[in-house]
Amino acid sequence: MIQLTSRLAFRIGVVLLLGAVVSAHHSLASQFDESKPLTLQGVITKVEWVNPHVYLHLDVKDKTGTSAPWALETLPPAMLRRGGLRSDMLGKGEMVTVLAYHARNGSNLAFLRKITFADGREVVVWIGDIKTAK
Amino acid sequence: MTNRNVRTWCVILCAALAVSGALTEISAQDAGRSAPPVTPRAADGRPDLTGIWVAGNASPQTPSVDSKGSIQVFLTVPGLNPDSPTVFKEMDSLTVQRRAASPNKPVYKPEFVAKVKELSDLQAKLDPAFFCKLPGVPRMGAPAQIVQAPGQIVLLYGDHNAFRVVPTDGRKHRTDIEPSYLGDSIGWWEGDTLLVEANQFTEDTWLGSDGYFHSPAMRVIERFQRVGDTLQYSATVHDPEVLAEPWNIPARTLRLSIDPGDALVEVPPCIERDSPHMLTNEHH
Repeated sequence: MIQLTSRLAFRIGVVLLLGAVVSAHHSLASQFDESKPLTLQGVITKVEWVNPHVYLHLDVKDKTGTSAPWALETLPPAMLRRGGLRSDMLGKGEMVTVLAYHARNGSNLAFLRKITFADGREVVVWIGDIKTAK
Repeated sequence: MTNRNVRTWCVILCAALAVSGALTEISAQDAGRSAPPVTPRAADGRPDLTGIWVAGNASPQTPSVDSKGSIQVFLTVPGLNPDSPTVFKEMDSLTVQRRAASPNKPVYKPEFVAKVKELSDLQAKLDPAFFCKLPGVPRMGAPAQIVQAPGQIVLLYGDHNAFRVVPTDGRKHRTDIEPSYLGDSIGWWEGDTLLVEANQFTEDTWLGSDGYFHSPAMRVIERFQRVGDTLQYSATVHDPEVLAEPWNIPARTLRLSIDPGDALVEVPPCIERDSPHMLTNEHH
């Protein structure tokens, strides 16, 4: 219960922080498929702190050891900064696990939702009204 | 003086000090309620608009990190369940509904209504701001910072690394410049209100993302009124070639940043790369 309360308070704090209603650069539905979540493991090779969207680049190795580069799109830099994120907190050079949603055109592009680091820390960057979350 | 007398005088003195303190506190509260806000003035007696101005409901910018170092950042869309299996589609729907419900939209002449819809339907392909061009005036909204000097006022737009220098020395609009995204601006005072008139815009800006185009003849009047540490900003778009009537953007209230360390910083470059990956023309 204590953990639940703490988590709720943390979530509410973030909502208050980002209280202003803002909209994204483009329709996410036109580019990404929310019915196709991906879990990718790899090393973050580059963080592009640019508008209108920040990009992370992930080097993903399959079972044979073959590398494949993936691009992960997320929110604009100003929104990340308002939420307390800086570019050096996005794990450049680190092995991570990410949850993201695949591009509709099937390319190695996805919209980021969560980064989990080796020590269990999480960076969640997402959309919606946290008060309606389960 | 006996010990008893000393105790008695102490009690009386302490009670008097307590009442005095309470009265002082009440007086200060009264003063806080009734004193009109002081508006700083420049050497010429006009209100001094200098300062960094932030949205009236802006929240403080402090990192939210839990005890383990995890962090969550949300783009807040009221009413959108973040865990919905159709969260992207619902986000589009909600933002379209919110904009459609707005009571204040530019009214176009009947012959241009179809063009506005066509542009809106193709916004992700045609909106200049989508492709990182300056949104222009008045789509950029109020400036983030104002620097007022004798004869000119500088408007700084922190979200776009952009600026406007507005002469206030009585000169007329320039006639020797190319149309531009921010236009040519002149300013003057009417009482304590600064008016800024901008014209000579490129057609490569929209008034909003719903296809609200304008003609080269567009003229925008912006009004700035400082009262204490708040700033009222409003604008009117005059474009009789395409609009059926002037479009008034209602006043919004900004407040002066009181953080002495506050300063605009360079924003990262804008590099649009979504368009080739978008499979539909939806926009929100």
